[in-house]
Amino acid sequence: MHRLWNRIDFAFSSAWQNFWRNAAVSVASVLIVWVVLLALGSLLLVLHSLDQIVALEKTKASAISVYLADTTPLSSAMDFKLHLENDPRVTNVIYVSKDQAMARFRQLPALDPSVIDTLGTNPLPASLDVTVRDIRDLAAIDQEVRTSPLVDKSPATNYEPNVIDKIILLARVAGIAGLVLIIGLTGLSVFIIMLTIRTAIYLRRKEIEVMKLVGATDWFVRWPFIVEGLIVGVVGAAVAVLIVGFGYRPAVINLQSVLIFIPLAFDPAYLRVVLAAMLVFGLLLGSVGSYLGVRRFLKQ
Amino acid sequence: MPATTTTQPTRTTLPERTRVASVTEAGPQIHLEHVEKTYPNGTFALRDVTLEIPKQDFVFLVGPSGAGKSTLVRLLIREEKATSGTIRVEGQDLSRLKRRHLPYLRRKIGMVFQDFKLLPNLTVFQNVAFALRVTEGALRHLKPKVEEVLSIVGLEGKETKFPDQLSGGEQQRVAIARALVHDPLIFLADEPTGNLDPATSWEIIQLLLQINARGTTVMMATHNREIVDVMRRRVVAIEGGQIVRDEDAGGYHAPALESH
Repeated sequence: MHRLWNRIDFAFSSAWQNFWRNAAVSVASVLIVWVVLLALGSLLLVLHSLDQIVALEKTKASAISVYLADTTPLSSAMDFKLHLENDPRVTNVIYVSKDQAMARFRQLPALDPSVIDTLGTNPLPASLDVTVRDIRDLAAIDQEVRTSPLVDKSPATNYEPNVIDKIILLARVAGIAGLVLIIGLTGLSVFIIMLTIRTAIYLRRKEIEVMKLVGATDWFVRWPFIVEGLIVGVVGAAVAVLIVGFGYRPAVINLQSVLIFIPLAFDPAYLRVVLAAMLVFGLLLGSVGSYLGVRRFLKQ
Repeated sequence: MPATTTTQPTRTTLPERTRVASVTEAGPQIHLEHVEKTYPNGTFALRDVTLEIPKQDFVFLVGPSGAGKSTLVRLLIREEKATSGTIRVEGQDLSRLKRRHLPYLRRKIGMVFQDFKLLPNLTVFQNVAFALRVTEGALRHLKPKVEEVLSIVGLEGKETKFPDQLSGGEQQRVAIARALVHDPLIFLADEPTGNLDPATSWEIIQLLLQINARGTTVMMATHNREIVDVMRRRVVAIEGGQIVRDEDAGGYHAPALESH
């Protein structure tokens, strides 16, 4: 127990001294770790949001809303509904009145209801929500309904065949670009931590000489420097974790108010995973960097 | 080639003493056999060195600068590895000693240098305690042990001083105290009086004699002719990387006529 405590105490107090003795270099390595982890955390959350959107869009993919002109009488709308229901490609048609459309609209997250009330009249059209058996028939049905005089012209339907592909492409590009950036920054941060540790070793060369002379084990000599690397990793990670942890929710809320129709949601469970991953990655950067810093020097 | 390389070094006097000392042991405490050391740049540091040092011996290692004294000392703590030949310390073959076992060898060997190698930012007490701390000595026994070795070297009352507040002799005493905390079986001193005035040098020698009297083998590499001549202890002379003389109760220079 005593020996273990001595070992831990020595490693931590030496590491702490090292950290402040070359404060400028230490701060630089903390900063680079911070940048890497901020990039990592942000990327994971952005990709997750895009995934959420893709998942939601996919569930909506087999349906289109056919918007009806405000001048369409209810009876004509019901005839049109019946006409669509008789189409063998269609499984289901639901009539959504202007009031129902407004009620749905009010339920969108992050939308201030008082803003809608100031409009006075209801600008939303009534619609027929058409669900098809096979997604591939959507385009044909979209073309057909557009020719009907009952249908609103601006826009006629919410059919956007490429939206999912576009989001998936966006997610892929963002993922690859982010990954390349993070790999580059990871290499850079490991290198800078390594230099930090080399500097610390250089500043302690006399002590290390004496330690080896009086019979300290290699690991006893190494531990303070490994711990210093871990401190760099943890401090950098902690700052990044705080920023991402507290920044994610406001960011989602802000984006929701700008992108009203994009279903973006705050996901606390996923956030916890991301924060844990950031912390682990920070520790990893610190330990790999300091291991590389320590390895060559103490080989002899 | 110098003429001396052709003659075998011989113990000229008192060979019995060696035998008596080794009776209880399996072999000599330090044993070098045909040791060669060549540096990577091709220079010979030691050639065919064979040397036995029994327990509790007191040996002066003499010879001109660059003769190989420091190399020999570095080989004994395995700061360097021999190019060929065998070195045994405490029965351990140093060429086969695993790196992870090396620290435990070092704890059996106390070592001091001309330049003391004290840590300037630590006090006398801390400098000595450092050697125990970094070798994971039990912290409970740290204070009494440090006090014990500081009293051996006569530095009671100086515990809180920093090295730059001490004289050269006092600094060397701190280094000696540090080398003693592990109760070493062997004490190696590489030019310990090289930076000290004659009076202080004598004090250091007295201290080494005391340590030797407590049962520790002492080997001291030195240039100090006066000390070697007065002490009349075993002298091992090295020149050009070879042992050219090994006598009990020897002097700094080879005896001119007495040997015949």
